[in-house]
Amino acid sequence: MISLTRPEPTDRNEVILDVRNLRVHFPTPDGLVKAVDGISFQIRRGETIGVVGESGSGKSVSFLTVMGLVSSREAHIEGEIIFKGRDLLKLPQEETRHLRGKEMGMVFQDPMTSLHPMYRIGTQIAEAVLTHEHTSKKAAMKLAVEMLGRVGISKPEESARRYPHEFSGGMRQRAMIAMALILNPDLLIADEPTTALDVTVQAQILDLLDRLKADFNAAVAVITHDLGVVAEHCDRIQVMYAGRIVETGHSQVIYYRSRHPYTWGLLQSIPRLDAEEMHRLRPIEGLPPSLIFVPPGCAFHPRCPYVMDVCRTEVPELGPAHAFNASACHLPAEEKDRIFSQILAERG
Amino acid sequence: MKKRTIGALALVLAFALVVAACGDDEGETTTTAAPTTTAPEGTTTVPTTGGGTYRMETDGIAYTGGGDPTGEYLGISWGILSNLLSRTLLTYYHTDGALGNTLVPDLAADFPEISEDGLTYTFTLKDGIMFGPPLSREITSADIEYAFRRMATEGIVAQYLFYYEGLIEGLELSTDMPDDISGIETPDDKTIIFHLTRISPDFIYLVAMPATTPMPEEVAGCFMEAGTYGRYVVSSGPYMYEGSDALDASSCEALVASGPISGFDPEDHSYFVRNPDYDPATDDPAVRANHVDRINIDLNTNVQDIFAKIRAGELDGTVSSGNPPADVLAAYSSDPELQDRLVSGVDDRTMYITMNLAAPPFDDIHVRKAVNLIMDKAGMQQAWGGEISGAIATHIQPPNLAGLGAEYDPYATEGYRGNLELAQAEMALSRYDTDGDGMCDAPECSGVILVNRTTTPWLETEPVVVASLALIGIEVQAQELENHYTVIQTVANLTPMGMNPGWGKDYPDSSSFAGFLFDGRNIIPEGNTNYSLVGLSEVQAAELGVPWPADGIPSVDADIDNCKQIALTDTQGGLDCWNDLDRTLMEEVVPWVPYLWLNVITTIGPAVTNWDYDQFAGVTAFSKVAVDPSLQG
Amino acid sequence: MGRYIIRRLLWVVLVVILVTFFTFVIFFVMPPVDPAILFAGRAPSERLIAQVRESLGLDKPFFVQYGLFLKHIFLGDQYGWPGFGMSFVTRSPIRENFLGRAFVTTQLAAGAAVIWLIMGISIGIISALKRGKWQDRLAMGFALFGVSAPVFWLGLMALYLFWEKLHWLPGTGYVPFGEDPSQWFLHFLLPWVVLALLFAAFYARMVRGSLLDSFGQDWIRTARAKGLPERKVVYKHGLRASLTPVVSMFGVDLGTLLGGAIITETVFNLPGLGTYVVRSVANGDIPVIMDVVVFGGMAVALMSLVADILYAFLDPRVRYT
Repeated sequence: MISLTRPEPTDRNEVILDVRNLRVHFPTPDGLVKAVDGISFQIRRGETIGVVGESGSGKSVSFLTVMGLVSSREAHIEGEIIFKGRDLLKLPQEETRHLRGKEMGMVFQDPMTSLHPMYRIGTQIAEAVLTHEHTSKKAAMKLAVEMLGRVGISKPEESARRYPHEFSGGMRQRAMIAMALILNPDLLIADEPTTALDVTVQAQILDLLDRLKADFNAAVAVITHDLGVVAEHCDRIQVMYAGRIVETGHSQVIYYRSRHPYTWGLLQSIPRLDAEEMHRLRPIEGLPPSLIFVPPGCAFHPRCPYVMDVCRTEVPELGPAHAFNASACHLPAEEKDRIFSQILAERG
Repeated sequence: MKKRTIGALALVLAFALVVAACGDDEGETTTTAAPTTTAPEGTTTVPTTGGGTYRMETDGIAYTGGGDPTGEYLGISWGILSNLLSRTLLTYYHTDGALGNTLVPDLAADFPEISEDGLTYTFTLKDGIMFGPPLSREITSADIEYAFRRMATEGIVAQYLFYYEGLIEGLELSTDMPDDISGIETPDDKTIIFHLTRISPDFIYLVAMPATTPMPEEVAGCFMEAGTYGRYVVSSGPYMYEGSDALDASSCEALVASGPISGFDPEDHSYFVRNPDYDPATDDPAVRANHVDRINIDLNTNVQDIFAKIRAGELDGTVSSGNPPADVLAAYSSDPELQDRLVSGVDDRTMYITMNLAAPPFDDIHVRKAVNLIMDKAGMQQAWGGEISGAIATHIQPPNLAGLGAEYDPYATEGYRGNLELAQAEMALSRYDTDGDGMCDAPECSGVILVNRTTTPWLETEPVVVASLALIGIEVQAQELENHYTVIQTVANLTPMGMNPGWGKDYPDSSSFAGFLFDGRNIIPEGNTNYSLVGLSEVQAAELGVPWPADGIPSVDADIDNCKQIALTDTQGGLDCWNDLDRTLMEEVVPWVPYLWLNVITTIGPAVTNWDYDQFAGVTAFSKVAVDPSLQG
Repeated sequence: MGRYIIRRLLWVVLVVILVTFFTFVIFFVMPPVDPAILFAGRAPSERLIAQVRESLGLDKPFFVQYGLFLKHIFLGDQYGWPGFGMSFVTRSPIRENFLGRAFVTTQLAAGAAVIWLIMGISIGIISALKRGKWQDRLAMGFALFGVSAPVFWLGLMALYLFWEKLHWLPGTGYVPFGEDPSQWFLHFLLPWVVLALLFAAFYARMVRGSLLDSFGQDWIRTARAKGLPERKVVYKHGLRASLTPVVSMFGVDLGTLLGGAIITETVFNLPGLGTYVVRSVANGDIPVIMDVVVFGGMAVALMSLVADILYAFLDPRVRYT
C-alpha cells in the first residue's frame, strides 16, 4: 500500500496558468511539425510542477509559447493560454511583452550561452528591471546586487561587475535565476535548469528554486528529461510524449503508483546508486517518433510492451487537467496497478 | 539561394548592357585610312592672340637623369630643354620636316669658323645672352666649357659622353671634375675654340645637344651628383621653371635651403613661365616663337582621362610617350570636326624585328631573307593603328637621315603583304629546309623565341608576325616581357628574335644610326644595342659566350669607317656612302626586318591655335605652340 | 593591458623589418628592371652602367645596402628623421613627396572607410532583419555586384557618367582642402564611393551573416524572455555581439588601404602612395618602393593592433590573453 505522505497545500490556491488545448504546429518544407498537439494543464500559486519527457516531447515548446517566445509567424498556435485570467494568445504583442520578465520569468538550460558575454552580470540583471520599471540605473543596479545576494552569490557587489565567463556554471545559473525573479514574477519557468551543471550543483540550484518560490509566493514549472531530478522538489509531475501529456499527477503518485507504460519506462531507466549489482538499466525500446508523422492512435504504441489493438487506432484521453492522477492509456486500471507493482518489486 | 544569385546576376547584366548601349555612340571602331595632319613646313609664325597657358598632362615625365641637362638622353626632355630652357651654340628650327633637322646658330653669332685641317672650330657668342633668375647675368664662354667639364665628371653620369670623349682633345672621364679641358679654349668671354683629335663633320650636330648648354658653375657646382642639378636648372632659354626667382644663389647652402625650384617636381609637375632675362632679339621667331606665357605639364595616371580632357577642352595637349589609345584615334579620324586636332610628325625612327646572326635558324642568310620576303608589313601597319601610325619601312634608316626613301625596297611584295612563292624559294636554299620544299623544317625551326613588349600596339601586331613566320615553317614562341629591352640587350641570352625594338636618331646624321648600331666594336655584354651582333668577331664571341656559327658573322665595320672618312670632306659623298651601307645591310647582312617608320601622333585641344612638331626631339615643339585663352575650358 | 600593447608594438617592428627584408631581396636578387641600366639611358655602355650604379649606391654589397636602409629609417639620414632616402628618379629627398602623398591616401582611405562602414553595416542589418524578403535579396544582389565589379571599371564608368556625360561632378585630380573646400569634396566624392562600394559589399555580407548568427544565440532568447523591446534585442544584444568580426576586418582593410589604394588612385589621378609606388616599380625607383613598403607594413601592423585592442574592448572574453 502506498501512503501519500506529502501534503497538498496547493490544490485550493489561485490558478496562475491555465493552458487549454494548446496546439503549436510548425510548417516546414518537410511537413507540418506538430510540436505540441493538444495539451491542457494548470499551475497554481505556490506549486512546482515538473514537466518531464524526452527531447522532442514538446515540453520546451509549450512553455516557450506560454512566454510568447514562439511567434505566430513561425507556427500555427491554437488553444488558450490563460495567465492570471487573461488569454495571452488574444493579447497584442506589446502587451505580452510587458508581462515577460515582469510577471513571468524564464531560466534556460545553458547559462554560459544564455547570458550575453559582453555585458556585465549586474548590467544584464539591472536591464530586466529597467525594461519594466521607471527607475534610475543606480536603483536598478542596487536591486540587482541585492538579488544576487539572495540567490546565494557571495560578494554580490563585486560579482555584479564581472562578466559571465568569469563565473562557474552554477553561479551563472544562479545569476540567471536572479534575473528571472528580480521583478517578483508570479510564474517562473525553468527549462532544464540543471542539465548543464554538475550533480552536486544541481541539488543546490533546485533547493534555491524551492526557497525562492516560497519567498516570492510564485508558481514554478521545472522542465526536464530526468525524472530523478525532480523527485524531491515538485508537487506535481506532468509527463509528455510526442507533443501530448500522457500522465499527470501529484509527484508521489507518479513515483509510487504511475499508470502509464511510458512513465514506467522512464522510471526503469533511472540509474540508482543503491541498485543491486546485477540490476540492469532498461532503456525504452525504439526511438522517439517523428512529429510530422505521429503514429496514429496512441503515439506511444509502437514502443509499448503492453500494446493492444485499440491502441493503434484510438487516441487515449487524459482526463481532468488537475487530477490527482490521470493517464492517457487504454489499459484497464487494475492491469496498470498490477504491472506497476511488478516493476516496483524488481526495482527493490 | 539560387533565385537570389540569378536575380543579382540579372541586375549586373542589365547594368552592363545599359552601359554598353550608352557607351559606343561614336561609330565604328575600325580605323580606315585617315589623313595624317602635319603642320605645314616652315610656317611657324602665326598671328595669335598671344599669351595664355598651354596645358598638358602626361602619365610619366620619365626622366632618367633627373632633368639634369648633362645626363638627360630622352626625346621628351630634349624637347623641353632645347625649346624652353637650354640654348646651345647651335640649335634646330623646332619645326617638322627637313627644316626641323636643319641647324641654325643659337648662342653662337654664326656657324663656326673651321680651320683648314678641320680640327679647330671657333665660335663667337652673341651679345645679350643671359642666364635667367636667380642669376640674371650674361652667359660667357667659360659657362659653355663648364658644361663639358661636368660631362667629364664621373659622378654626374653624362649618358652620351661617348660622343665627345676622345673627340675633343683632353676630354676624358675622371673621378674629380677637371679644372679645365685642354682642347677647349676660352680666350675671352665671347669666344670658344674646340680642338678635335680627328676630323669629324658631325661635330656641329654635337654642339646642338642639350648636354652642351652653358651652365653656371656657381649654381651647378653645388650639385655634383647625378641628376641633382635638374631641380635647380638656371635657364638660358625663353622660359624658366616657375619659382626659379625664389632661389637664393648666394651660396650652396642658401640654394639648397631655398630650393628646389617649386615649378619642377619630377613626380608631379613641370611649370614653365617666361624668362625675364631672355632677349628675343638674340633669337629668331622661326626658331622659337614663344607665343604662350606659360606651359603646364601635370601628371595624370589615367591616360584615358588625359585624352578625354583634351577633347573636352580642359587640356591643350599631352606629352605621353606612345600614341593615343585606339579608341581615341578612331574617334578623331572619323569625326570631321576632330580630324584636324589629330596631329603628327615623322619620328625619324625605324621599328624593326631584329634577328640574331648567331642564333639558329637566323644564322643562315637565306632564312633571314625569307623572313623579309614573307612578312606581312601591311598587316603589321594595320594592327599598329593604320596608315596614320607611320609609313611602312623598307630599309634600315628613315628617309630623312640620308635621303634614301621608300623607293628602295629590296624585298618588295605586292601591297607589302609578303609573297609566299618568293619566300619559299629563298627558304629552299637554306640548310634549315632539309627537303627543299620552301618550309623551314629542321628542329631549330620550332620553339623560336620572339621577344615582345607587353603593351599596345606591339601586342596587337604580334599575331601578324607569328602568322607570317608560320607560313614558312618557323614556329615562334612569343614572350611578352616587361623588361624586354634588358633581355635582348644581354648578349648571353642569345635571343633569336625580337619585335620590340625601335631606333631613333640622336641627331640627323647616319653615324648616330646605322653607323652606331651595326658597329661590331660597340658590342658589350649588357646594355648592348647591336642586337643582331653584326660585326661580332670570333674573339669577342668567345669572350661573351656566344657560339660561333658555321658561316661566321658578317661585319660592316670597314664600311662604317669608310663612310665616316668620306663624310669628313664630302657631304653628299658621305650621304651616298651611308645609303650604300644601308643597301649592303639589307641585301648582304640582313639583320632586320624593318617594318615601320614611325609617326608621332597626338591630339590637341580646341583652344590650340598653333601647333608644331619638333623634328629633332620628336615631340611637340613647345616654343611654337599657341592658344586662344577664350576658348579654353 | 599596457604590457600587452608594448609587446605588440615590438611585434610591429619585427614584422616591418621582415617585410622590408623580403622586399629588398626581391628587388635586388631578381629585379624586374635593373635600375642601373634603366637610368643609364638609351645607349648604356658598361662604363656608364657602372657609373650609374655607383651614383645610385647600388654598387655596395646587398647587406650593406639593406643595413644602410634600416639605419636611415630608424635613425634618420641627412634629410631628417625618419630617413626616407633619395629617389632615383627625382634625385632629391623622398620625404618631400612622401608625406604629402601619404596624406592624400589617408584622406581617400578615411573618407571611403566612413562610407563603407555606414553603408555596409546598415545594409547588413536591414538584410538580416528582412531575411528572405525582397529587401534582403536586393541588398545581397547589390553585394554581389559590389564584390564582382572591378574597381577600375566602376571608376571609369563613374567618371564617364558623372563627369563626361552628365557634368555633375568635376573630373579626376586632387584639390587640397585649404585651397577650395567644396572642390576638395567634389573631387573626392567619386573615388570615395567607388572605393567604398567594394568594401561595403563585403561588410554587408559579413554583418548580415554575423548578425544572423548572433540571432541564433541563446542570449537573444534570454533578452526576449526579459521582455526587452525588439529594437533593443537587435541592437543592444544582437549587433553588439556581431561587431567584433567587423572590427577585426576593418583594422586590416584600413591598414592595407593606407599603404595605397592603387587602382582607385590611378583611375582618379590622385597623388597618393598608390600611384607613387606603381610608377616607382615601373621606373625602378627602389628607395621609394622600400619606403612605401615600410609605411604600408607599419600601417597594417598598427591598424591590426588597434583593431585587436578595440576587439578586446568590445569582447571581455579575450582580454589579457
